[in-house]
Order: sequence, then structure tokens, then C-alpha cells
Amino acid sequence: MLFKKVGHCLVVGVISMLSLPVFSAVIEHELGSTQVPDSPQRIVVLEFSFVDALAAVNVAPVGLADDNKPERIVAAYRKIIGSDWISVGTRKTPSLELTASLKPDLIIADKKRHSAAYATLSEIAPTIVLDSLVGDYPAAVKQMSVIGNALGKEEEMEQRITEHKAKIAAYAETFKALSDGMYVQFATARASRLTLHSASSYNGSLLNAFGFSSKLNPTDGDARANFYVPTTLEQLSELNPEVLILGNYADVTIIDQWKNEALYQNLSAVKAGKVFHVDAHSWSRLRGMVAAESTAEDLSAIMKKISAKK
Amino acid sequence: MPKSSLYLLLSGLFVLAVLASLSSGGRSDVGLNELFGVFNGSNSALANTVMIDIRLPRTVCAALIGICLGLSGLILQAVTRNPLASPSILGINQGAALGLVATLVFPQAAAIGVGFLSVTGAIVAGGLTFIIAGGLQGKLNSLRLILGGITVGAFAYAFARFALTLDDDVASAVLQWSAGNVGDVRWPDAQLLIGWSVLGMVITLLLSHRFNLLALGDSSAQGLGADPRVTLLIGTLLAAVLAGVCVSIAGPIAFVGIVIPHVCRYLFGLDYRVLVGAVSLTGATLMVIGDALSKWMGGPSEMPIGVVVALIGAPYFLYQTFMEKDLG
Repeated sequence: MLFKKVGHCLVVGVISMLSLPVFSAVIEHELGSTQVPDSPQRIVVLEFSFVDALAAVNVAPVGLADDNKPERIVAAYRKIIGSDWISVGTRKTPSLELTASLKPDLIIADKKRHSAAYATLSEIAPTIVLDSLVGDYPAAVKQMSVIGNALGKEEEMEQRITEHKAKIAAYAETFKALSDGMYVQFATARASRLTLHSASSYNGSLLNAFGFSSKLNPTDGDARANFYVPTTLEQLSELNPEVLILGNYADVTIIDQWKNEALYQNLSAVKAGKVFHVDAHSWSRLRGMVAAESTAEDLSAIMKKISAKK
Repeated sequence: MPKSSLYLLLSGLFVLAVLASLSSGGRSDVGLNELFGVFNGSNSALANTVMIDIRLPRTVCAALIGICLGLSGLILQAVTRNPLASPSILGINQGAALGLVATLVFPQAAAIGVGFLSVTGAIVAGGLTFIIAGGLQGKLNSLRLILGGITVGAFAYAFARFALTLDDDVASAVLQWSAGNVGDVRWPDAQLLIGWSVLGMVITLLLSHRFNLLALGDSSAQGLGADPRVTLLIGTLLAAVLAGVCVSIAGPIAFVGIVIPHVCRYLFGLDYRVLVGAVSLTGATLMVIGDALSKWMGGPSEMPIGVVVALIGAPYFLYQTFMEKDLG
């Protein structure tokens, strides 16, 4: 009888041990450290940059915050992660219920948007919180290593990072003849506001990695205002970039109001026909290695147009 | 201090503020010299366009918004005989805000016109407040007026703030706009404000005698041939339109409407015929000072003028509150 009981307990014990995830790595992140399973299989990500990180090592999340607009997961990601994810709602207010229903074994959340929900998310699954909004391009690449560790794909990620760095360096080399020191400014345009991405922003520092320069280097503190700077026409004319790359978030933007004004027509970029349009979403909302490589392709097309003008 | 020296002092302050506002901005190579260069022809084309196309309309708008909001507050305080009345306390600014937010959330609504929707929002909100306060019976209850205004304002603003929970793009547009900003105004905005502020001053001047009678009490006004209900109706409509136009151009700017009439009553006395001019001058001065400061403060981008004016207005209002023995 006793043996039967012990045997029963043993069987139950072994089964429950098998079904429990094996916790191994402890990941240091923005809100502390979290023990994550050895090789998580059901991952939910709440920002686009984490989708980028998963795609970099060929991992498909089960759920992601796509703002209820599946098209925001661009083709470059779909090629790798497919289209079978379950949307957990918007990045701003992801549905905790939906997230829980997916029974994830790892959640990756953003510091600015999801810190308040960290405790709840942690009850659902081991959660790591990273900064996906501020911080520059090198920081974004560093974050990839953290996510690689969390995914249990440390080596694969490091290899991908090395490849990526080589790719970016190769692009920088091809741009060099034309780009050396050229001031290229990226900005997003909305109906009534132009927002410049400064040298310390993700896009600004990425442009820097390609060999371009920036005159917009605000330095006071770590405030968000230093990364994304709302600008008047007068301030833009003072900065006077040689190349202006615009991502439009609206059909009619403030640039349409400005384009008939002398001060705008006087900008070096405008006079030289070096104002270019790119997809605001993939430049401004996406970040990571896959995104940076698609930015590189856009820049390559822009540089070809510039060299054709010469 | 005699009134003439007060006017002189205020005018001097106004001119200084205008000079400060015009000589600063985004371009550091365009300053006071270039301002004078506009007149003596020594300027480059670039400096001229910065001065004439960018800075001048902005300073003009700031001044005119000061006039419109000041008058709006003066009128509301006159018709309600309540020193607390102002476009923001009676819910009018928030109603206009809701009208404007509607155009941000529903781009189709923008076709109707941002200005039209803001002014409509202002009039509807003002109307509701007055109905709550007993305006339909022709008798306003002071306490109900303020409570009604707070209710209507909170209700309208709750809807406007609801937009913050929507998509990031809409939310950031609402947030940007709700700070109160004249950074991107141009001559067409200034023209609209010139029209309304001149009309506002003329009508307020015409009404000022009625306001004086109203100050004696409803029955005295009635007895002297000025039906208080007519004064109330025209006054409130005008105040709502003036505030609505300002909101449609710069977003809600608080404290000007309430502080300026108080300052002027303290400096110039209680005669509304005098107060119309005094409020216009003082309101314009405060807003232009705010505009100049907004270009200096902040960085890398500017501090919105709504924030700057609130930083000046709020402490003054607090001071006034402590100094006043009887707020009526």
C-alpha cells in the first residue's frame, strides 16, 4: 500500500516536473531581473522592436501587440514570422486577458508603455521589460543580445548581430563617397507638426552609423524632448539640413502648408531637390536589425537619386 | 496713479514685449538689428521673410488672442456679475476644445471647418452652463453658474481627453494642441483674429453702458431701459465666439480671461467704458510677454505659450485670492 502511494507520488512528481518549464537564465532588464524558461516557446511581445528581435533569430511570437492593424507588421517581418500571430490589441493598452489566454512562457514589454502592468504581466508569465521608445541605435542593438539570451538563442543572436554590423558597415562604405559628413535630417510630418529626430534618437544615431552627420544635438538630460523635437519652420531653416527625409503620418501635412513659403523654399535640401519621402511607420515606429537593414535599403535608393543629380 | 500714466506705462511694456517677441525665435541670426532692418532696407531677403512672414503674424496673433480672451472674460464677468466668470470656468473653452478635438478624431469633420466647430462647441457649452444656472428664467444664480460651468467643462473635457486613449497619432495631436500654442500661426490666422477682435471691441464698447447698468442690479437695469436678458444673450454669444475663435487658432489658453479683467478693475476702476480699452491693452501685453518667454524657455523646442501664460497667471490669481477680502 505504502509502496503504491510512494510510486503514485513519484509518477505525479515526474509528470509535473516534465510539464513545468525549466527555468535557467536570469535576465537583467529595466525593472529588475527575471528568471525565464530555458527555451521559451510561447512568446508574447508588446512592441514592434521585440518583433524585430524575434525575427532576427527566426522565432515567431504566438501573440503580439499590432495595434489591431495587422499591416503594421511589415513584409520584412512576415517573411520570417509568418502571419499566424494572435493580436493582443494595441501597444498602448494591450489586452491582459488575451495575453493570459495565450498561455505564454515569456512576455517582452516596453518600459514606457507597460511598466504599470509589469506586476500583472509577471503573474501571467515571466516578463522582461526593455526600453523601446527612447535610446539610440547602438542601444537597440545591445537590447538584441538581451532578448537573444531570454530566447535561449544567445549564440544565434550574436552571430546575427555580427552579420548585421558588417552589413551596415558595408552600406556606410558605399555611401561614403557621397555621404561623408553630409547633414541628413529625418523628420516625421503630421497635420500640424514636424518632429525632428535628433542625433541621439534611434534614427539620428542610425544615420550617424551610416556616416551622415547631424546638427541637432540637444544635450540637456534624458528627456524625450531631446530625441523627438517638434520644430517650427524658423528652427528648421536655422538647422538647414542638406538632405531632408520625411515620413508622413497624414495625407496632408504641415509641409504642405510650408511649401509655398519663402523660408521653406530657401532650405538647402529643398533648393537642391533633396527632400525624400520614406514610410513613416517603418522608419519611426520600427527599430532593430531587420528594420535598420530596410532603412539601409531606403537610404541606398535615396543616395542613388542624389548621385544621379550630380 | 493717474490713468494716463497707467496707459503710458502699459503701452511702454507692450512695446517692449513686442520688441522682445519679434527679435527672438528659431533663427539666431535674425534679431533686433534685423527688426530695424525691415524699415531701413538693410536686411537680406531671408531676414525679411523671417520677420514679416513668420514672426510678425505670430506676435500679432498673440496680442489679438490676449484681446479676445480678455474681452471674453470681461463680458462674462459683467453679464453674470460674478468675478469668477471666465471662458474656462464657464466651460466655454472646453466646449471649443471638444469641437476642435472632433476634427482631429474624425478627419471628415475637418471639412466643416475647425473654426466653425470650435465656435459652435463654445456656444453650446456656454448655453448649457447658462441654462443650468437658470438663464432661461432670466435670473442667474451665481453658485449654480459656477457649478454648471465646472460640470459642462469637465464633461466636455472628459470627451476631449477620451481621444488620448485612441491611436497614438490622434493622442499626440490632441496633446500637442491642448497645450495652447501659437508656434505655427501665419497671416491668415492673424487676419481672422483682427476681424474678430475689432468686432469684439466695438460690440463690447457698445454694450459697456448696459454692463454698467447691469452692475446696479437686474431691476435697476430694467428700470433704466436695458433689458438684462438681451445684454446677457448678446454678451454671452460674443464671449463664446471670441473664446472659440482663439481656441481654434491656438488651443485653450487659461487664466487670461479671468486674470486680465481683475487686474484692470484694480488698476482702472469699475467703469466698463474704460475697461474695454484697458482690458484689450493689458491682455495683449500679457500674451505678447508670454510669447516672448515661450521662445526663450524650454529647448530644444519651444515652451507652449499656454504653459507660459498659466505660469504667470496662476500665481497672480492666487495672490488676488489671498488679498481679496470679499470675493462676492
